[in-house]
Amino acid sequence: MLPLVNGSSSTLDPLAPELLMDLHVKYIQALDTKKNDLEYWLTEHLRVNGIYWGITALQILGHPEALDQEQIVEYLVKCQHENGGFGGHIDHDTHILSTLSAVQVLITYDRLDAINVDKVVDYVVSLQNEDGSFSGDSWGETDTRFIFCAINCLSLLKRLDDKRLDLPKTIDYIVRCRNFDGGFGSSPGGESHAAQVYVCVGTLTILNALHHIDADQLGWWLSERQLKNGGLNGRPEKLEDVCYSWWVLSSLSMMRRVHWIDAPKLTLFILEAQDTETGGIADRPGNLPDVFHTNFGIAGLSLLGYPGLVAVDPVYCMPRHVIQRIGLDKH
Amino acid sequence: MEGRHGQKKEQAESTEALKARQEREAVLVDSKKRDNDALRVTTSLLRKSPDYYTIWNVRRTILQEGFLEGADAETGDKIYSNELEFVQENLKLNPKSYFMWNHRRWCLEHMSNPRWDKELAMVSKFLELDARNCKRYIIRQLDLQDKVSSDKILERAQSEFDYTTTKISQNFSNYSAWHNRSTLLGKLADDMTEEERQATVDNEFDLVKNAIYTDPEDQSAWLYHLWLIGRESRSISILGSSVISFHPLEIVVAFDETVKFVNPPTVSTMVNHLPVPLAGEWKATGTDSTLGTIWIFQQAPGAEYGPTVELVVFEDDVCSFRLGARLHSAVCFELETVEKDLSKISGRLGRLVVGKNLMCDVTKRIGHVPDPDGTLDTQKENRKHTVTSLTTSDSLDDRTALLEREIAVVRELNEIEPDSKWPIQILSMLLSELRQTVRIHSTQAKLLDDECIELQEKLITIDPLRQERYEDRRTQLVFGRETLHLIKDGKRFPEVEFEEDLPPSLDLSMRGLTHIPISAYLVHLHTLNLDSNAITSTRFIRNLLNVRHVNLANNMIKRLEGLQHAPSLEILTLENNLIARWEDVVAGFVFWGEGKLGRTGGHVKVLLGNNPVVENEGGEYVLEKRWEDVGEVGLEIQWKSEELRLAEEALVAAEGVASTSESHMEAIRRVSTTVVEFDAGPGTA
Ligand SMILES: [Zn+2]
Repeated sequence: MLPLVNGSSSTLDPLAPELLMDLHVKYIQALDTKKNDLEYWLTEHLRVNGIYWGITALQILGHPEALDQEQIVEYLVKCQHENGGFGGHIDHDTHILSTLSAVQVLITYDRLDAINVDKVVDYVVSLQNEDGSFSGDSWGETDTRFIFCAINCLSLLKRLDDKRLDLPKTIDYIVRCRNFDGGFGSSPGGESHAAQVYVCVGTLTILNALHHIDADQLGWWLSERQLKNGGLNGRPEKLEDVCYSWWVLSSLSMMRRVHWIDAPKLTLFILEAQDTETGGIADRPGNLPDVFHTNFGIAGLSLLGYPGLVAVDPVYCMPRHVIQRIGLDKH
Repeated sequence: MEGRHGQKKEQAESTEALKARQEREAVLVDSKKRDNDALRVTTSLLRKSPDYYTIWNVRRTILQEGFLEGADAETGDKIYSNELEFVQENLKLNPKSYFMWNHRRWCLEHMSNPRWDKELAMVSKFLELDARNCKRYIIRQLDLQDKVSSDKILERAQSEFDYTTTKISQNFSNYSAWHNRSTLLGKLADDMTEEERQATVDNEFDLVKNAIYTDPEDQSAWLYHLWLIGRESRSISILGSSVISFHPLEIVVAFDETVKFVNPPTVSTMVNHLPVPLAGEWKATGTDSTLGTIWIFQQAPGAEYGPTVELVVFEDDVCSFRLGARLHSAVCFELETVEKDLSKISGRLGRLVVGKNLMCDVTKRIGHVPDPDGTLDTQKENRKHTVTSLTTSDSLDDRTALLEREIAVVRELNEIEPDSKWPIQILSMLLSELRQTVRIHSTQAKLLDDECIELQEKLITIDPLRQERYEDRRTQLVFGRETLHLIKDGKRFPEVEFEEDLPPSLDLSMRGLTHIPISAYLVHLHTLNLDSNAITSTRFIRNLLNVRHVNLANNMIKRLEGLQHAPSLEILTLENNLIARWEDVVAGFVFWGEGKLGRTGGHVKVLLGNNPVVENEGGEYVLEKRWEDVGEVGLEIQWKSEELRLAEEALVAAEGVASTSESHMEAIRRVSTTVVEFDAGPGTA
């Protein structure tokens, strides 16, 4: 299936900075060559997530070939454990976060054949708790983020029909995390936070239960995340951050309310967080870039319709053409 | 695990330290040791990389297998206490580390005698460092204590509550503190008398008033203010129902908001005065047919039905986007199926509101005449209304008084700070809330609507970032005002329903509408004029089951969609819109008539003058489509000018045969191009 690419837009300010597409491709390619840096080692437990962020950004930039696919698939296979889950790196323990990332990469590459899918399903299903929520691993507590990872993963694998699951309970749990302001927290009673809103709205979208969301109320709260400088924050009175471009925007997109924020201003904010020397995008202008913010910055720009970028799916944060290929497109 | 935040560019990197750590790590991964040496290695590694979750797992395994197994409770608690100290020491360096808090939770959960007081004192310190994981952690602590004793919970909630008071008095702008306050008060209120609640409420209103007067742009305080006032829960309404096709039987039900069917409502036919369920399927006209304001029941092929068909929707059959919103009571429609003139059917048929034991009542009800206002349900007025989020009262007067008092507070603030956005925004919300308490057609309702609309216009000028949101809200208000005459007058928190006689046409031109908020209101229309608005989508047309003419000239449509349930559509005027591609025109018709609705055949004219597509596609400006066979929908789209169509008809009439050759199609395109050069102006149909 051909990538869907955003068309040219006449609303862009000609004086605005441009998206440094080639530089970002180089930045992502270079990440794996910095093996002797302290930073590389400190983030080792995020390696599989890092690969997902890197290859997704490259896909959206229209350069899927920039990293060696075979090598990545080979590496991911080594990260799968006997219990079916994936660790954040070879010999690291399994966790739902790295498991989802591995599945996302393999589906983007259409290489599920390389791993044992049944075992992944067994692992994810084993993480469901009595109350319908999911744990992050066999040690950890539950969090709406982990619920989304589990549901997202099973949805990508087309295994939400697994008889061992109790999805109505999962929906109930998410609904219990809903607050008066329309937003969602990490657990029942937890305060609303944009990232938690994304995972809850995403879970309900996948489970076809969006009717539990008051879109006007939540859309109102989300659109109030935009600050005067165009950036978005995660909660009232907090600083703006590039990754919220994704959490807020994708949620608004699932509720068809992207127009409730000022797109040109947000576009400008993301572009100003680019590192014009090394490539990559930071959490806000002037800070050090990283692959996480690079991906969510670029994905946000794609949702905003930035010209020349491959369209991204707001639920799965993967290229829209990949989601269409596996038949999960809801638009 | 959310990537790294706030790293300043000048951060240095050290490769020396790295090598040593890599070695240690290798040792660790291979090692099966469960002793102090192994534990020390994890300590060192976790100091450097607190989110290295595998090392935490290893550490817990070492503790469990090497130290805790067989240890008595006291020794165990000592070990856990050491762990808590270790975590605390490291949290100072990295308060946001999720896995550090996670380890702390694990310790506390396993201790036989955890010291909660110490724990909360420590957490309070970290709150000042603004750690989100810390917040998650506190909530967890409170939940855990639920298992302990209810006295302890109240005590703890009270001290937590007092803590939020301290935080708020230091600085009003503290979203977390206000949020916690609302959850804690919810818990504390369970144990209060109504008097105590009232005193608490008064106190809270004073506090929040202080906060909003100190900083009128402080959204945390405003959100708390709204929480305190609470929202009235309004029921889902069924506007009306009617039969739209007899073979097969098709029944439409219109709701006043988007709903999902939890259970499909029952359609029965009367046999010997007893209802016998009729097999069939419900579908919404929405995108995925499981959500929508218009629902259509289609009878399964072959089923027989008598002259009277009954539709029953129970309270629990439907739910909506609003949490907890449901039908006030079961609703029953009696639909006559002897009327064979389809053109006479629009709007609603008979409606009865019946009590809970509906199935027992059904046989008794035959021949029953409903009360003048359509209600049989004596419990209708006995609902419990929430006056604030903390108090409960039946009194409408209390609610109205509260709203009016708070509206006065906000108005006063608005007069002092006329260009401050939040007071205006909240004022508009409170006015809408008050609007729910007055009669639908009253003068006060009209005044409230007008003021709310003005407030949106003011907001658009002072907060341009969110301009489109205010325009959408303004659209809802204007649309509500302009369609009010379609709705029966009613009392407080009405379950709205259609008037008896609905006019077949509606003029909503030049109202500044961005969309059609509740298209179910328009289900009966034959003619709809939306000329000169700012509408961007035609999706609403999917609910206009009876519409013949829609005028959308001078809007902002880029693509046609939602026409599948509008097979009665004859003329769609789209002059002066933004449609740029042929595919975007055709897209609207690919499934045209898919929801067949008992009609046979269709013929639509789409006027496209002065759209970019006219130039891009070679100058044609009228889309004409004949719909004769559902199986071939989408194949019969022709693309040509009105003049050409007439000329062609004349030609066919004269020659008596229709040419189907390639060259003929080419001729059409060429000729039509010429035609349009002379006449591409709007409104020639
Ligand atoms: Zn961020």
